[in-house]
Amino acid sequence: MSDFLHHILAFDADSPLLFTQFYFWAFFALVFAVFALIMEAVPDRLGNKKLHLRNIYLFFVSWFFYYKTSGLFLLILAFITLSDWLIAGRIKSAITHQKIPIAKLWLTLSVVIDLSLLFYFKYAYFFTNVINDFLGTDVRVFDIFAYIGNGFAQAGRFSVDTIILPVGISFYIFQVISYTCDVFRGRIQPVKNILDFGFYVSFFPQLVAGPIVRAEEFIPQLYKPYRLSRRWFGIAVFWIINGLAKKIIMSDYLAVNLIDRVFDNPLLFSGFENLFAVFAYSLQVYADFSGYTDIAIGVAMLMGFYLPMNFNSPYKSQTPQEFWRRWHMSLGRWLKTYLYIPLGGNRTIFGFKVKKLWAANFNSFITQVLGGLWHGASWNFVLWGAINGAGMIVEKIWREWNWHIRFAAMTLLTFCLCALDYIFNLPVWRMFAVWAAIVWVGTAIRYIYYLCQGADNKFTKAMATAWAIVQTFTFITFTRLFFRSSSNLDPATANEVAWATAKNMVNQIGGAWENAVILPFLWEYRWVVAMFVAGMVIHWLPTDWKRRYRLWFSAMPLWLMVMIVCLAIIVIYQFVTADMQPFIYFQF
Amino acid sequence: MRPYKVLIFIACVMAGLAALCVVLPGRVAWGEKELHWPTLAQVLEISTDTLASMEIDSIALEEFPEYEDSVPATPQYVAPPTVHVDSVTDSRIFLSAFYASLAETSHKTVRILHYGDSQIEEDRMTQQIREAFQSRYGGAGCGLMPLAQTIPSLAVKQRLMMNDRFVTPAQGPRRYMVYAPKRDQRADGLYGPMGQVAVMNDSLVHGSEEITAICTPLYKGPLYTRWKVFADTSVHYSLAGDTVRLSGRGNVYGLSQESSAGVIVDNIPMRGCLGIVFTKMDRNQLTTFYREQNVRLIIMQFGGNAIPSNQNPGTIFAIVKGLREQVQYIHSCTPDASILFIGPSDMLTQIDGEWQTYPMVPYMDRLLRKMALEENIAYFSLYRWMGGSGSMARWQEIGLAGSDGVHFQRSGARKAGNAVANWILEGMSNE
Repeated sequence: MSDFLHHILAFDADSPLLFTQFYFWAFFALVFAVFALIMEAVPDRLGNKKLHLRNIYLFFVSWFFYYKTSGLFLLILAFITLSDWLIAGRIKSAITHQKIPIAKLWLTLSVVIDLSLLFYFKYAYFFTNVINDFLGTDVRVFDIFAYIGNGFAQAGRFSVDTIILPVGISFYIFQVISYTCDVFRGRIQPVKNILDFGFYVSFFPQLVAGPIVRAEEFIPQLYKPYRLSRRWFGIAVFWIINGLAKKIIMSDYLAVNLIDRVFDNPLLFSGFENLFAVFAYSLQVYADFSGYTDIAIGVAMLMGFYLPMNFNSPYKSQTPQEFWRRWHMSLGRWLKTYLYIPLGGNRTIFGFKVKKLWAANFNSFITQVLGGLWHGASWNFVLWGAINGAGMIVEKIWREWNWHIRFAAMTLLTFCLCALDYIFNLPVWRMFAVWAAIVWVGTAIRYIYYLCQGADNKFTKAMATAWAIVQTFTFITFTRLFFRSSSNLDPATANEVAWATAKNMVNQIGGAWENAVILPFLWEYRWVVAMFVAGMVIHWLPTDWKRRYRLWFSAMPLWLMVMIVCLAIIVIYQFVTADMQPFIYFQF
Repeated sequence: MRPYKVLIFIACVMAGLAALCVVLPGRVAWGEKELHWPTLAQVLEISTDTLASMEIDSIALEEFPEYEDSVPATPQYVAPPTVHVDSVTDSRIFLSAFYASLAETSHKTVRILHYGDSQIEEDRMTQQIREAFQSRYGGAGCGLMPLAQTIPSLAVKQRLMMNDRFVTPAQGPRRYMVYAPKRDQRADGLYGPMGQVAVMNDSLVHGSEEITAICTPLYKGPLYTRWKVFADTSVHYSLAGDTVRLSGRGNVYGLSQESSAGVIVDNIPMRGCLGIVFTKMDRNQLTTFYREQNVRLIIMQFGGNAIPSNQNPGTIFAIVKGLREQVQYIHSCTPDASILFIGPSDMLTQIDGEWQTYPMVPYMDRLLRKMALEENIAYFSLYRWMGGSGSMARWQEIGLAGSDGVHFQRSGARKAGNAVANWILEGMSNE
């Protein structure tokens, strides 16, 4: 029994509370039982006191959740909470007394503290690596917090040679920055009670992987009574089941049975298999991340809190720019509000007024690069961000051109790539040449149609939309060659692995296509292929259809909903326990 | 909707699922498929993760006198029978002939051939063995490579030109491989020592193709001092720096960058191969090569490819029997050379949603060791050296193994390669 309690209550790095595990749902059921007791037993006439009690309860539950996930890193969360709560109060006080420079100083201090912690825990290895590369030194990281911890605990309890990244730090640091900025801008009033503020920072459904909730979106909800309509209840349940299915079927199943093994050893697979895995990886990343946030949104909603939408069918985007408006929307909004606009938006570059287009392109490129670095502390993420930024700029320039220039440019590009392929016969040029040739065909058809002065009708518009979606999806997919990294700690390893993986995959796609493998692959991996196709088809369903089946689900009788939820969980469990897909070449 | 109603909903869902846990026995046959559902005991069980406390390198590579295994029997796998292995001795005594040959390295080359499956692709593990021996006994160069290198290597980067135009390996000369599907095999068994052969001007009546292979060494060790081209006499070649230019018509069995003395270690990966292919290779050709190139140690690293598709102990037994024949065949081709067999690593699969060691891995490991001792060859148990059952999961956690639960990452391969090299070298100091 004591072992059981220890397991339930104590931190164990190997068994964090994950949405996909039974223990999380048992935890949530218990949390909700007490939550319901508070909401039902405490009389409404107590008004704010009742809400305050609810908030305090959820605050401590959230801290317990974080402790179970990250152990003593809870102290970092506590420090951030205290520091930003105090500073926000000072900012408000300075603004009230018309001392704007003082308020600015407090805001700067807050941002410096927040970003210092983020840089320390997330980017220490990256910058150490950069310093060593440029200066030829052999500087090593040293964990000062572990050193101090060893002073309190027995010596050697914590390793000083390794800096471990606290779970969710990138998310909650951005949240507290948004809070102090919004207080400075007067968008919100500072939270009076530190426990309420702590609840905003650490609310457990979105604590470790978002969505990043801006203060002005969430803090007003702290003071609103519990409200969950019957329909919204059904929608919340739908999001949870939808998220579980995405995470376990579309993400984990595809990853374990194909994607991981191809990315780990691209050379073991043919070009076609590599290409398929890259596209499947696009679906996996989406399903994994959006599945998690779907569950977070659903769980929060059951407790009467509404988190912002984080994904809006991003692979329906017709341009890279649109993609970034649909993908990880809470991060996109954050970067736009707190980075892109302060950088100068579409008005200035480093404070200098320039042409609107130049400023917008430059600042969005910088935002993309820094956004890339936010995703991971190594050069491959910087490169990934830069490619995305460049893609957005190229697309904007493309839109400015007329059809004559577009066709001429595409023809020239295709010719150059084909020539490079012919001369050097390298897989990378082969891959780009084939890609350019396909895009050229599409461009040529549209150009001829334009020359013939063909009228736009429903069919041609649908074809143009589909073509734009496929091109954008393909572009985004190829940027993901640099997105996958094996290590968060060692940027040198992360770079080496990411670069080697991308290079080997390109080599296989462009140089070892092996047509003979295609049919056996499609047959042997039929379940994986079927899941990928099903995932993409569901993703591309019209938004209205999706809204309708969500509403249909939310309106069904509760007894039926219970049965459907149980059935869905049984089906999902079959994918958890499914036999591994064997390697085809094992069967030689 | 009131919170208590939401609570009742949650309770109903959990009660429904818990009822299924009570009613269903874990697995329910549903036609040819099985419906999986955990029992209550499985749901409430708190997993005691023994892997977390497992220390890599904690298990010294001993000869495991008892060699006892407890193989988990799960419903989908047939429990293998017990295999009794004699509590012999250090199997490195069977490397004595190789150890003795190292005395010759001051004036001539001693060759080690490392055959294996995908676990040794890209020069993995071989690299560490090469570095260990060349730093101690001299020698340089990465050794053998195929004319058309379809799988890149960390030892050498190859670019191929055909009639002065760059081509990919797939566009290069026709290749036959002893471990390939039937369409890419040949009947005469003339595959050369690497088990693969490139045929110059195979499809042309008049040989007009010229092939240039530019092979740039990538390793940090001492550079090679000479080229060797293993080909039919009808193939002509010229050498310039890192470039070999070939013309004529006939078979090319491999190129080699090496020194004129010291130890040469060749990496010969055979993807997807069970290892039961050597008997298809021409005996005379192998015998001649082994003798003329002074091959004194042959490392065979196979067995892993048998595991995922075979859950039956009988099949594993038959495969090991087949491997025994290969060992005997190679021994008959080169009686003076020593043979070291490296068994499969720990390998994982998902059983009821949990990553577990394939039940046949320990069984195969025991059978291979038994076979090795009976054939008087050395045996290195990669599986046991890693830490036994479930160790691959630990290797994954610390970034030494890939997420497929089968292959090492480069760092893991370095670790394993060093372990093998040290094990061989230590055996010599024990003599």
